[in-house]
Amino acid sequence: MGPNGAGKTTLLKCLATLLQPSDGEGTVCGFDLRKEGDAIRERVGLVTVRGYVYDDLTAEENLRFSARMSGLKLGADEYRAALARVGLERVAEQRVRTFSTGMRKRVVLAQLRIRPLELALLDEPYAGLDTQGMALVDEFVREFRDEGTTVIIASHQAGEATRAAEQTLILNDGKLSPMDHDEAARSHLSFESLGAGEG
Amino acid sequence: MTSKSGLANVIGIAALALFLVGSFVGLFVVPADGMQGDIQRLMYVHVPAAWLAFMSFFVVFLMSVLYLIQRDLRWDRVAQSSAEIGVVFTVLTLALGSMWGKPTWGVWWTWDPRLTTTAIMLAIYVGYLAIRSFADDPDKRARWAAIVGIIGFANVPIVYLSVIWWRTLHQPPSSPRSVSPEILWTLMFNLAAFTVIYVYLMMRRIRLAKLEGELEQRMAYHG
Amino acid sequence: MELLRRAWTIVWKDLLIEARTKQAFNAMVFFAALVLFIFSFALGPDTELLQQVSGGLLWVGIAFTGILSLNRTYQSEETSGGIEGLRVYPGDPRAIFLGKLFGNIIILLAVEMVLFPAAAVLFQIQLLPHALELAGVAILGTIGFSIVGTFYAALTVNLRAREVMLPLLLFPALIPMLLGAVNATTLIVVGDPMLDSGIWIRLLVTFDVIFFVISLWIFPIALEE
Repeated sequence: MGPNGAGKTTLLKCLATLLQPSDGEGTVCGFDLRKEGDAIRERVGLVTVRGYVYDDLTAEENLRFSARMSGLKLGADEYRAALARVGLERVAEQRVRTFSTGMRKRVVLAQLRIRPLELALLDEPYAGLDTQGMALVDEFVREFRDEGTTVIIASHQAGEATRAAEQTLILNDGKLSPMDHDEAARSHLSFESLGAGEG
Repeated sequence: MTSKSGLANVIGIAALALFLVGSFVGLFVVPADGMQGDIQRLMYVHVPAAWLAFMSFFVVFLMSVLYLIQRDLRWDRVAQSSAEIGVVFTVLTLALGSMWGKPTWGVWWTWDPRLTTTAIMLAIYVGYLAIRSFADDPDKRARWAAIVGIIGFANVPIVYLSVIWWRTLHQPPSSPRSVSPEILWTLMFNLAAFTVIYVYLMMRRIRLAKLEGELEQRMAYHG
Repeated sequence: MELLRRAWTIVWKDLLIEARTKQAFNAMVFFAALVLFIFSFALGPDTELLQQVSGGLLWVGIAFTGILSLNRTYQSEETSGGIEGLRVYPGDPRAIFLGKLFGNIIILLAVEMVLFPAAAVLFQIQLLPHALELAGVAILGTIGFSIVGTFYAALTVNLRAREVMLPLLLFPALIPMLLGAVNATTLIVVGDPMLDSGIWIRLLVTFDVIFFVISLWIFPIALEE
């Protein structure tokens, strides 16, 4: 968790090998960040705030693109099922341009869920979603956890998933530090009020 | 100052001396070419300038490759310096070539393969320097420049060959004429003089680039 | 091959979007026709002159039009999160280059299919008797243009002055290809008594091969963030 501009998104993008760290080294899932980026990308999925979705393609085509680029070969019914899972089965053939922010987010979630992952990186997953949508995110996070997939959520908003997190870290001023777990669980407030007293 | 600066000064003086001697000999001592007259003396500057223009670009190419392999900014500084100096020599070559052309062929410009390739090389050089101005991060800048430098230089022989083919199909190429030994020697001497000038300019420019790089780094940390 | 499959997925995506929005294709066709028209207008009614320079005019038209399409190559990714949206997937990033390359070639060839007949009318040249050879030259030239163009477009996509940088970098690099294409086209159209067009076609092939190898090799470095 962290305030706006702290670098949460940048950190996630680094983990997804989209950005190269200017200094230092690291490993993700046991693979070196700089040299084994390809192996990392095979196991890591990233959900950004806006999501990588093409407005002029339908929901199903976006899913198909994402799956094929990830090396998956799926049948039409599997795409339908994935869209049904996020509640978009009725608009599968509609162009994403006509979707609301929440619906776009659901397409992105479907793209994420369709791949076998070791690590899921979620950047502000609750942004733009209604209560049902947020419950969907929480459900996915639970499923990931049951499947053994690690989930890292960057958020300035506390939700069920952040409350249920095994570890909460605060990113501020370029430094990452652990947060008291009970305090994080007890608070229902956004980061601003949390951070004010922490310093 | 440091001994490096002292060495540069020595080379600078040597360069100036060689240049003066070479120019004097070329302008006054060596007899002019029978057919072309005095205008031929331009060759003593034009040819070395052309040679150095291409050599500078080759250095840019070499340094670009080295940078991409080792990612050491020192190579990038040498590449940048060589490109800047190379532009000067290239413009000089074109200007002199043009000046030579007017009395000799009656036109300011001719699509002679070497001249044309030099003009295109100028465009490639300018592109190389231009793309450097768009990146603030030194590593990104060096990387983009290196890519442009490598592809740009790789293009030069291809351009040269294609223009030769283009010209030979339209008109026979100018046949190489034999040159008297005095002219040849003067040419060689001036070539050496220009090379020393290049080395001197490079030493100065690279040192300047190093200082620029340090300044940039300091501003990045405190800015 | 996995690489080709992913490249094809990108082509499929881009062509599908293009077919639905028809942004680029229509603009390109209009622009190209306009360029040719202005040329023929500026040069006047001298038929023989027009025929002699038809090859040059045609390829200049194609080059200018091609630049439009190149700008669009990576720009179309902008609304969907930028080229990150392609880099985030596993696999060789060269698939991105190949995908964009094939897409550009296809669209440019499609425009040329309108352009060549337009040139035939405006410059009064006969195309049909030599249709096959012309098609060959068009394809080779378009491939060469697209290879260099797609590569430099990737390099300049994030620059502030990319509309200037792309032509500045591109045109010197294209000279051999333009020489080859223009001369081959002119010879085919106007008459080739000494069968010189072979040299130009060979130049085109050499150019295409050399730059394809170089671009493919260096592309991942150009894509680094």
